[in-house]
Amino acid sequence: MRCDKSMVRVGFIGLGQMGRMHLLNCLNIENVKVIAVADPSKKALNKAKTLGVTNLYQDYHELLKKEHTNLDAVVISVPNFLHFDTIRLSLEHSLNVFTEKPLAISVEQCKEIVNIVRNSAKKFMIGHNLRFVPAVEKIKADLQKGIIGNLEVATIEEILNGPFSHPRVPAPVADWWFDPYKSGGGVLIDIGYHMIDLFRFFAEEDAKVEFADLSYKYSLPVEEGAIVVLSTTKSSIKGIINVGWYQRSVFPKYNFRAVLHGDAGYLSTEEFVPKKIYRYAAKEVAKNLLRRVTGRKIKTLSYTYYWESYYRELVSFFESIEKDLETPITALDGLKTIQVIEEAYSLCKKTNGVTAVG
Amino acid sequence: MVSKVSLVRLENGGADLKSGVSKAFDLIGFEIPSSVKTVVIKVNLCYYWNASTGQTTDPLLVSALIQHLREQCGHDVEFRIAEADASAMKTKYAFPLLGYTRLAEKEKVKLVNLSEDLIEEKELQINSRKIVLRVPKMLLESDLFINMPKLKVMRATHISCAMKNLFGCIALPGKVKYHPFLAEAIVAINKVLKPHVNLVDGIVALGKYPVKFNLLMAAQSTFAADYVAAQVMGYNPSSMKFLNLSIKELHENPNEIDVLGEAIEPFRKCFPTENTLVARAKMRLQLFLLKTYSRLSGDIIPPSIDDA
Repeated sequence: MRCDKSMVRVGFIGLGQMGRMHLLNCLNIENVKVIAVADPSKKALNKAKTLGVTNLYQDYHELLKKEHTNLDAVVISVPNFLHFDTIRLSLEHSLNVFTEKPLAISVEQCKEIVNIVRNSAKKFMIGHNLRFVPAVEKIKADLQKGIIGNLEVATIEEILNGPFSHPRVPAPVADWWFDPYKSGGGVLIDIGYHMIDLFRFFAEEDAKVEFADLSYKYSLPVEEGAIVVLSTTKSSIKGIINVGWYQRSVFPKYNFRAVLHGDAGYLSTEEFVPKKIYRYAAKEVAKNLLRRVTGRKIKTLSYTYYWESYYRELVSFFESIEKDLETPITALDGLKTIQVIEEAYSLCKKTNGVTAVG
Repeated sequence: MVSKVSLVRLENGGADLKSGVSKAFDLIGFEIPSSVKTVVIKVNLCYYWNASTGQTTDPLLVSALIQHLREQCGHDVEFRIAEADASAMKTKYAFPLLGYTRLAEKEKVKLVNLSEDLIEEKELQINSRKIVLRVPKMLLESDLFINMPKLKVMRATHISCAMKNLFGCIALPGKVKYHPFLAEAIVAINKVLKPHVNLVDGIVALGKYPVKFNLLMAAQSTFAADYVAAQVMGYNPSSMKFLNLSIKELHENPNEIDVLGEAIEPFRKCFPTENTLVARAKMRLQLFLLKTYSRLSGDIIPPSIDDA
């Protein structure tokens, strides 16, 4: 495959909903060229073909074997249980890696990935997209400016449909979601993962679990609700994490918020999220059309507000490759988040669902 | 022959569901056929949203119905709660998630995935369109077949109640293939399946949003149940294609419906009616505008919104 040397050549492993989202985003990023994609679904591969991707594989092993010399990086969006293998193999083929969260489904696997990344000298980033949401960036910046004094408590929550979201074109939920050996757990590893990462992001310290309550009202092998209380190891900053898969949520409504309580005041993402999302979207659409007319670059997905973060995290990853910078989210961030999650699960097992420590 | 439809307001926030069921059946004079050995109850579990959202049949009401029937026909009757897989819903998850696995254990009844039952293929001609249906044999052969729909709006058909709930019996997971001719498909399945009685769950009804309605409706005629349900929800039944088609194809007569018990009007006033035509048009317009914007600007549309 011939390609401009300044271009970052990318392969895709997994073209589910997230994979397709990343693929579309990549096609909109300057200096990035999508070379090959792999997915077991022929339908997904055909969609990629219509977008101009010519090297299509049903097996990611084949993609890595045949294309690794043509690639600089891979974007991995596969079911949780495949993260470990796909990441490890991609790094072994000397590729820079962007992977969807979670890093892997156990601390053991995460530790091994951290070691492989350390020895690889390759760029590695996990898709913790919420860090790139403008309202999150804003409250983090204000916190760093000292506007609320010392951070004492952070409450971070997100309640949605998770795997039960009803797609516009109906399709049944994939079975791996409800197999803890394949998913690693329920809503805690799915959505709680983001919330715990945000807590660490705001507190800038490692966290441990003080209390955890998992909800199994759906009678599934994995939890559909979780409330976890965290505490940082140095400053005892508290974090209250509340996540659920139980709420019917319809786009563009998005039930996420982070509130930071400090000694001198508080900060909430609610204050910075557009109050009227349709009006905001219309303005962004108009701005982008103007940018297009005047020959400037558009702000991809800005009209969706939250989903712009998926574009921005990828831009950040490719910048790290091009400019040889450290990626903003490392394998260690993934490991530390999974350590907290595993701690919460293990405490809940000991106390039959509800746990209070010390 | 006059079709009777009963409207029963549940007292004390639905605390005594069993007496509500009994009253709803008594008003229409529904008598359980003698020598009943098998009862099939077709619930509406269209998706994984529980009864409080107004989308799915309340398992507590199903439980009350089973208890009522046991009192009437004894304890050696076999009950089956039935639902078929849908385009986006698998019964193996819906049953536990919506409280039906627990209900089955408590009431000692069977849960049946109609998609896995023995099938009889039926070919019908509705409105000059050939429609092939895969019908679960169990529904054709049971001694007592009870239809337990929800009272809710559905953009494609205005309302979804008794007749649409039978559409959910079709043993084909990808029922979305019938959507381009949904009215015809609904009428077709109603030509094949004739429940002995319909018990409409209006405990929580769904309009623009869910509302605690505390209403039970019973009718032996599926058409009559829907005709009255449409009025309860503030819609004009004669504007609904599947009801008009039923008059033509199933020889139904809307002039021969007798509403018993509570009046329609107080319920209609409380129902958060959604203008389904406007809602559908709005959704289509949004998608059209988004696609136009995407073409003009080069911006992308997330796959979850545009995944056709």
